[in-house]
Amino acid sequence: MSIPPVTLRRVFWRCLFLQAAWNRRGMQNLGFAYAIDPALRRLYADPGKRNEALRRHLATFNCHPYTAAAIVGGAIHHEERVAAGEEPTGAPLAYKQVLQGPLAAVGDGFFWAGLRPFFGALAAVGTLVLGWPALVAALLVYNTLHLWLRWSLFRAGYRTGDAVVVRLAALALPAWAARLRDGGAVLCGVAAGVMALGAVGRLGIGAGALALLAATSGIVVLGLRARLLPTVYAALGLGTAAGVVAQVFRGGR
Amino acid sequence: MDYLVVAVVAGLAAVERKGFLQAMLSRPVALAPIVGLALGDLPGGLLLGPPLELLWLGAVNMGASLPPNEALGAAAIAAAAVLSGRALGTGVTPAVAALAILLAGTLAALGRATDRAIEEWNVRLATRAEVLLDRGSPRAAMRENLYGMVLPFAVSAALAPAVAAVAAWVIPAVLRSFPALNAPLGWGWTAVGGLAAAAGARAFRSARGIGLFAGAAVATFAVGWLAGGAR
Repeated sequence: MSIPPVTLRRVFWRCLFLQAAWNRRGMQNLGFAYAIDPALRRLYADPGKRNEALRRHLATFNCHPYTAAAIVGGAIHHEERVAAGEEPTGAPLAYKQVLQGPLAAVGDGFFWAGLRPFFGALAAVGTLVLGWPALVAALLVYNTLHLWLRWSLFRAGYRTGDAVVVRLAALALPAWAARLRDGGAVLCGVAAGVMALGAVGRLGIGAGALALLAATSGIVVLGLRARLLPTVYAALGLGTAAGVVAQVFRGGR
Repeated sequence: MDYLVVAVVAGLAAVERKGFLQAMLSRPVALAPIVGLALGDLPGGLLLGPPLELLWLGAVNMGASLPPNEALGAAAIAAAAVLSGRALGTGVTPAVAALAILLAGTLAALGRATDRAIEEWNVRLATRAEVLLDRGSPRAAMRENLYGMVLPFAVSAALAPAVAAVAAWVIPAVLRSFPALNAPLGWGWTAVGGLAAAAGARAFRSARGIGLFAGAAVATFAVGWLAGGAR
């Protein structure tokens, strides 16, 4: 028995709640069971078998919330075969256990360390230069891309099962992540330059130099693993002190 | 009424950040303008969003590790700045923004602790779901997942307006008492902006990132300067 498209869409919608009850014991276990539940209801008319299937999906699970969609789709693929008597009941669980680590690594590396911070930096620069329309545009593009990828991974997992790994590899996400990280660093540099120019306009050339000095010092100090918030307070204090000196200097002229 | 609005926006951001969707709406670059818009000062939110985003670009929830709660911090900072700017009649100025980050920034670190406590609390939901399943109530068991969003909403909805209220009382008092601080604090905000850009570049952990960052900063400044963009 195959799952109707409307049920698949319902499962995908529920995938968006995967981390709603993230917990220290089972991590995303409850979210996974919640997501796959509509499909299990279709597959197992017998309440006992449905509850048994739900219980196996309450086992510990943790993955990246976007790439986990592929595993939810693949788990349905295997549950269809379990319901048809073609696979043992442990097959969906084995599938999840094998894929959750690698897909978490791919998701963290591409989405959390590449795509999202890239769009965060892009939105920041866009807002600095063009205002809210650039912010809205950046968010629209990011979400179109990320939701399309989530849906594509879910569908590929459902259709191909274990072969979703091949489909994922074809996307070459690690290579794209490296490019996005380089691009993101460039965008942060552009942001530093734009903010320095803004400071020159507001407070004079000295403030522009201060912005660039803070950026340079920040790169060095944060590279030495200084904690972020104390460093922010230090920058705020030193910058304010520089402002007092500038005021005194101007007053004395 | 303003604090109720802040509570709702901060609560929804807490849910969007982890429990549902993760569409960047709770990132500082979006959340600060949303808070500004909700309180009637979009330009104020837009002033705060970019530096806060760059500052917390590396705040990412990977595996079981917990970063500072940048959404809680951004909501409180933005609300504090907008309400202070309104009280002063100036809107969000760099001086107001600098004091807002000084007073409300630590909430992001506190948010990490509350996030950990929520994850511990959620173990009860998972256990309860198992019990309900054993009792033959699968629908009730699965609803437990949705209840996991209640506590993050409530914690952020309580903390963000509370901290914003304190900051919105302190900031106008300080700037009215010491108006000469306005210009120096503007310099302080400038330094925070430069540091934020550096923090953003560091967050990318790119092998060539530092060189690319420095080159882009100098080139942007030089081109802007030559084009007369320094205004």
